[in-house]
Amino acid sequence: MHSWLDPKYLAWLEQGFAVTLMLSACAAICATLLGFALAVARTSSNAALARVAASYVFVFRNSPLLVQLLFWYFGAAVLLPSEWMTWLNTPHAAMLGPFALRWPSFEVFAGWIGLTCYTTAFIGEEFRAGMRGVSAAQEQAAAALGMSRYAVLRYVILPQALRIATPPLAGQYMNVVKNSSLTMAIGVAELSYMSRQVDTESFRTFQAFGTATVFYVLTIAVIEAALVVWQRTGVRALRRVHA
Amino acid sequence: MNEVDWLASLRYLLLGAFPSGPLGGVALTLALSVASAVLAVIIGLGGGIALAMTRGVAQILLTALVAFFRAIPVLMLIFWTFFLMPILLHVNVPGLATVVCALALIGGAYLSHSVHAGIVSIGDGQWQAAMSLGLTRWQALREVVLPQAVRVMMPSFVNQWVSLIKDTSLAYIVGVPEFTFLANQLNNRLMVYPAQIFLFVGFVYLMLCGALQGLAHVVLSPAMHRRKARL
Amino acid sequence: MKIKTWGAVLAALLAVASNAAHADRLDDIKKAGVLRVAAFDSNPPFGFVDPKDNQIVGLDVDYARAVAKSLGVKLEVQPTNPANRIAFLKSGKVDLVFANFTITDERKKEVDFSTPYFASGTQFIAKKGVLKSPDQINSLRIGADKGTTNEQQVRAKFPNATIVAYDDTPFAFAALRTGNVQAITQDGPKLVALLARVPDKASYEIPAFTISNDYEGVGVPKGETRLLNAVNGTLTKLEADGDASRIYDRWFGPKSAAPLPRLFKIGDPQKNG
Repeated sequence: MHSWLDPKYLAWLEQGFAVTLMLSACAAICATLLGFALAVARTSSNAALARVAASYVFVFRNSPLLVQLLFWYFGAAVLLPSEWMTWLNTPHAAMLGPFALRWPSFEVFAGWIGLTCYTTAFIGEEFRAGMRGVSAAQEQAAAALGMSRYAVLRYVILPQALRIATPPLAGQYMNVVKNSSLTMAIGVAELSYMSRQVDTESFRTFQAFGTATVFYVLTIAVIEAALVVWQRTGVRALRRVHA
Repeated sequence: MNEVDWLASLRYLLLGAFPSGPLGGVALTLALSVASAVLAVIIGLGGGIALAMTRGVAQILLTALVAFFRAIPVLMLIFWTFFLMPILLHVNVPGLATVVCALALIGGAYLSHSVHAGIVSIGDGQWQAAMSLGLTRWQALREVVLPQAVRVMMPSFVNQWVSLIKDTSLAYIVGVPEFTFLANQLNNRLMVYPAQIFLFVGFVYLMLCGALQGLAHVVLSPAMHRRKARL
Repeated sequence: MKIKTWGAVLAALLAVASNAAHADRLDDIKKAGVLRVAAFDSNPPFGFVDPKDNQIVGLDVDYARAVAKSLGVKLEVQPTNPANRIAFLKSGKVDLVFANFTITDERKKEVDFSTPYFASGTQFIAKKGVLKSPDQINSLRIGADKGTTNEQQVRAKFPNATIVAYDDTPFAFAALRTGNVQAITQDGPKLVALLARVPDKASYEIPAFTISNDYEGVGVPKGETRLLNAVNGTLTKLEADGDASRIYDRWFGPKSAAPLPRLFKIGDPQKNG
């Protein structure tokens, strides 16, 4: 009976999985920070800023991620000045003590940019919905207490908005992991790319795709479980405070 | 490099090689989207109702199935239906059908989840009132709960359809000649206009998705206002 | 009476079943009246889209058309990239693969090959002055096409090279142009044809060395002997009638964009290694 997969191919799949996780984590963190800024911009009193933010959301939510990635990889490379392109393409390393932080190759960089810009639009909307979910009375009460707009946001609205937005946010993080599979189209050696690679070389189609699918489903399940744990501890913390 | 015949290229991107070949381009994208959307709604309604009406083992299995299809990346499911299903089931399925199948399954799973949530959101009071009037559970579902639930779920239906239009671009990976595939083919041939080509592609999808959302807004909002006025 | 009628029914069923058991892909093709073939759509001159009528044309397509004509059916071309060739064939989406399909022992376990109709060697293309000898390859980033023998050969012969695999040659070339990889690898004739069509051809060169000797044949589903024999018969006849030579001249002859002398004829003995 043949083994499930040669260890060599299993190692390829594991490398791909590591790239998927790293890419998703980087994109998720950046998209959260930027999405937050986007939500603040959309709800700002400056009309021009709000309109710019609204168009950003419209453009990046209504075009396919695949097309955006192809644009960043091919189109942006042509539009950027050639000195930038040369810098982006030569390997750089920064030494942090014993660790060397290596600048990623261009396709990983383009994949990260594309994934971040796309996800920012969605996360921004989740934050905005979270802020809307906080009742207006809260904002009025805080203003009545003489708090500045910044203080109102920081101490009253955002903590509550974050708690409302966390479940949909977890959903968006799951989407980041799934959407990272699209970066295979621009040559990023992540899990789907590797599963295709293993399939074309070993012809073990079922094993290659099966293993990759298991990795993806497990990752999604872990995020889901983390959400459930967060919800339970959050509720318990609330009960403790009010007891 | 020869002069680029932009008009002929545009026609190719919109229609593919039709009529001297299979339908392709934007026309095929629309056809794929409509077919997957219709199937996804059918699967979604069926799955959501099944989730709401079953209990015990059947419901757990169904929940697991829906969770699986919501967890798998669309790309991986397209690989499965395109490369593996024909080998495993010994059935020759044309490329288009496998993509529609994959998109409908994932769309259907998301819609099942929404339909179920919509049905659950209709308070217990409605169920009890209906049944105290002598309706069976199924009649209560069909006549009382579902019509109200659908109105609650419509925005999430529209979101799912917008996602479907975008996801048809993934058919490019398996050689289906829809819009993104043909644009990529054109870019491979011309080589020096990638930014313009992909900006145009993004623009067309923007128009398609924006039109769908605008249409939904026009059709649904008056219904919402009428409902509020009646209360 | 009863036994006789049942016997007749059984005999009829067996006759139908045995006919069904003998019906194979060649019969299906003739019954459907169409031969479905996978060919490249972005790899001139083997398979590419003719901008005048948006049909897929090329050397491989001409051979496919000849086979379809000899079977008396229409030709339907499914565009493919190198990675999807075997998948299309194994899942029954196409009947034959005419896509510069290199013959290897590994692939022979999954598909059958016709007699070779093209020969080439794996070569490289790089920006001028970058690549002079094979020894440099181990230190470079090399672009390749997913699912090609070129990729596997470079990985086997130059284990220290970084290989980035793309969906198709134009992708790899775009990566070469932006400097994402320092060289890309493909069959020599394909690179020659690619270079002839690139707008900035003066910046690139194809170093003269090759790292393999390969033969390309038609991909046939495993076990379809009658179809394989039909294809081989057509190919041999094309060579004997001089049509194979004509097809080659059309795409690689002196008047074409990238002339290459014809060193391999259908039926020539194959060199090993």
